[in-house]
Amino acid sequence: MIKEKYVEKTSQLAVNIENNRVESVRRKDITKTAIRVYSENKLGVAGGLGKIDEEELTERAVKALDFNIQYPVEPTSDLEMNIVYHADFNDENEFVNEIEELLVEISKEQPDFIFSNKATLTTTENSIKNNLGLNLFHSGTSLNIGLIFKRKGSGNIFDGMVGYSGLKYDRKEFLKLTNEICEAFKNSIEEFNPGRYPVVFLQSDSIYLMKLYRDLHGLIFATGGSLLSGKIGQKLFDESFTLYQTRNHADGFYGSFFDLEGTVTPEFRYPLIENGILRSPYTNKKTAKLFNLPHTGAAGGEYDSVPDVVAYPFSLKESDKTLEELLEGRKGIFVLVASGGDFTPDGNFATPVQLPFLFDGKKFIGRLPELNISSNLFDMFGKDFIGVGKDNLTSLGPSRAVIMEMEVSKI
Amino acid sequence: MYKFPEGLYTDVRIEDVFQTSIQITMGRLDDVKEKSYRAAFIRLYDGKRWFYASTSDVDGIQGEIDALASMASKNENIEKDPIFKRLEVNEGEFLKFIGKDSVKEISLNEKIGLLKEYYPIIAHSEHVKLWRANYIDLNVKKSFYSSKGSNIVFDTQRVGMRIGFELSDGEKKFADRFDRGSNYFASLKGLEKEIETRFNKAVLFLKEAVDVKPGKYTVVLSPEAAGVFAHESFGHKSESDFMIGDESMKEEWKIGKKVGSEILSIVDDGNIMGTGYTPFDDEGTRAKETYLIKNGILAGRLHSAKTAAALKEELTGNARALNFEYEPIVRMTTTYIKGGDKSFEELISEIDEGVLIETLKHGSGMSTFTLAPSMAYMIRNGKVAEPVKISVVSGNVFETLNEIDGLTKDVKILEFALGGCGKFEQFPLPVGFGGPYVRVKSLNVR
Repeated sequence: MIKEKYVEKTSQLAVNIENNRVESVRRKDITKTAIRVYSENKLGVAGGLGKIDEEELTERAVKALDFNIQYPVEPTSDLEMNIVYHADFNDENEFVNEIEELLVEISKEQPDFIFSNKATLTTTENSIKNNLGLNLFHSGTSLNIGLIFKRKGSGNIFDGMVGYSGLKYDRKEFLKLTNEICEAFKNSIEEFNPGRYPVVFLQSDSIYLMKLYRDLHGLIFATGGSLLSGKIGQKLFDESFTLYQTRNHADGFYGSFFDLEGTVTPEFRYPLIENGILRSPYTNKKTAKLFNLPHTGAAGGEYDSVPDVVAYPFSLKESDKTLEELLEGRKGIFVLVASGGDFTPDGNFATPVQLPFLFDGKKFIGRLPELNISSNLFDMFGKDFIGVGKDNLTSLGPSRAVIMEMEVSKI
Repeated sequence: MYKFPEGLYTDVRIEDVFQTSIQITMGRLDDVKEKSYRAAFIRLYDGKRWFYASTSDVDGIQGEIDALASMASKNENIEKDPIFKRLEVNEGEFLKFIGKDSVKEISLNEKIGLLKEYYPIIAHSEHVKLWRANYIDLNVKKSFYSSKGSNIVFDTQRVGMRIGFELSDGEKKFADRFDRGSNYFASLKGLEKEIETRFNKAVLFLKEAVDVKPGKYTVVLSPEAAGVFAHESFGHKSESDFMIGDESMKEEWKIGKKVGSEILSIVDDGNIMGTGYTPFDDEGTRAKETYLIKNGILAGRLHSAKTAAALKEELTGNARALNFEYEPIVRMTTTYIKGGDKSFEELISEIDEGVLIETLKHGSGMSTFTLAPSMAYMIRNGKVAEPVKISVVSGNVFETLNEIDGLTKDVKILEFALGGCGKFEQFPLPVGFGGPYVRVKSLNVR
């Protein structure tokens, strides 16, 4: 019998910000442990919170084999890796004090706005070990500052957001980013002519990738429910379009470098679409084996679940041009907030953009009226795909942007 | 009991959790999980700042209280603090989901058997390429103690079932699901007919749906769509934490202001059974019925003790936390639109060309709200006509509230079977939602 132990530990200091000041501080320190046993192509799992009795957990996992959950895969073996990294802050008090001082400065520089939400300093530890020589350990501390802002007098719940996730902290740089967004927000551009425009998304925005997250799911793909089913090896998108499944810091991912089955991919990425050619849907071991698909290391779920196929973040390969070069002198529409849109089953896409900025490739020029944008999956990443800028929008963390041509109209 | 520090407000929420989840894919049992745990969230307030800790070590709660107290400043006048004064004191045991009504008493085999009874309805169709059936339940007993004297024990329970299916007919693809949420396991039985009806509708939609011609249409929202609309477009705006600190918002959102059509009333009520049932919130406040809009007039909003104190209004029982890892924030419970005076036939008979939104994938609400339909139909000459594929329906919230010109009599309260409401980091919180069929004069359909 093969036994595997998986542990997730989260320690977090969350600073809750309300009305430009620190309203509360929350500490969290939670350990979750799961024991998995593999026997005769079956898997049994049991988990517990906090202090656990490993023997008791193992007994429960063995008992869970009675559910007869088929898991005909080889557990990962003979792999040892250990990755540890830290954010700029180690001291919790220092973090709280810095956020307080940051808020004082933001309030002074942007008195027309109210800022709320959270700043967090989070350490996640993940480890997976088994009696086949698997021993992986990840410990990372990252920070996230996510401020939502509202212009005083606005009838909205909130008007926009500014923030980032990363390892570095630089107060001046964060202020610069906040000021740039708030100043552009104040510069209202009323006139807008409908037509085709270069539309710019933060690469980490998931709205424009929703259809690919769904249609590249290994099970949906393999069973014929995806628009992309049966098209591995076909060139479906533009030559410059390469899409990765990622667990790489450079792409803004600060979780564990391995998946729930202990799979580690080269450079912590896996190319699902390469130079426009479909290479694979995302899969875990079981789905890859059942449907004879490439195994991409996309096993996930709750700590005490049987690993399932889950979507890890996608990232796009950057071009060798800056955003300004990609725009070639045109003005783009930067999507700062777009919420609620979707794709039809055929791949047609439409969404309102609640906060669009006019953008020249380097800076936000002003706030446009609320817009509708629309396109189609195969056009967005095909003939209308312009590219991913090689430059980050801020030096605070990974913040690349992607541009594609779309139909745009006023709401 | 705990030794609460002097000169501070403290409360402790202990959660005894029992939960089950089962997943079956294409007839294969993928996952079965039944677990129980005990964990706690502690809050401490010194009149200036709140301090929180969450822990899975319930034996160490006193240590957590003491550690938080060391970060706070003792306040001799804490009892005069407006938030402290607002906090309710309740005592007693209010357990509803015990004995045969508790999901703890139902065997795993019976829960797995429930899914096995239903999936043959869809599994053998030539159009089904992938199907997955899920069952979940969650029974939470909360014990709440405060330094002000609260000492209550209450419980909540949700059960949910979903059968999701991916359909294909040549190049045509469509994904749909049957969802059912409730408080009681027994409510999930006997659903064969409803599942079959939904499935057949989905297959017809797969085969016959055509692209909608984008434009502005009169739109009829089903109870599901109306409920999501009420929740996303107005419910979130009624959560008072968004108003704190902005004087002009207080003027903009003055109680008594006309905000919608006079036939429109929206209510939030944690007493209503369903997955939004919240007999006490996570500050120990009793559930209350709160009219957000009454006959088109802004009538109330949702509060925690902090927002009620800041706006000098009464508590509503809406301070809710996702689980022991989080602090309570202002959230909805069961939010719905009150019924009107028409039958469904009357409601659509007056429409020459319009759209009926029957089921939804999701919705959102800022100044512009959105609904992403799953199944939708044209309405032509007062009758439901061909199915149409729509990416998104959108409109300005306040214009739309004023453009509601028809409501059916019957109201349906629905539940998210597996998911719930998201706000900031806390997702998915169980809530209820619903309403009658709602007619809106003009919405943007794309």
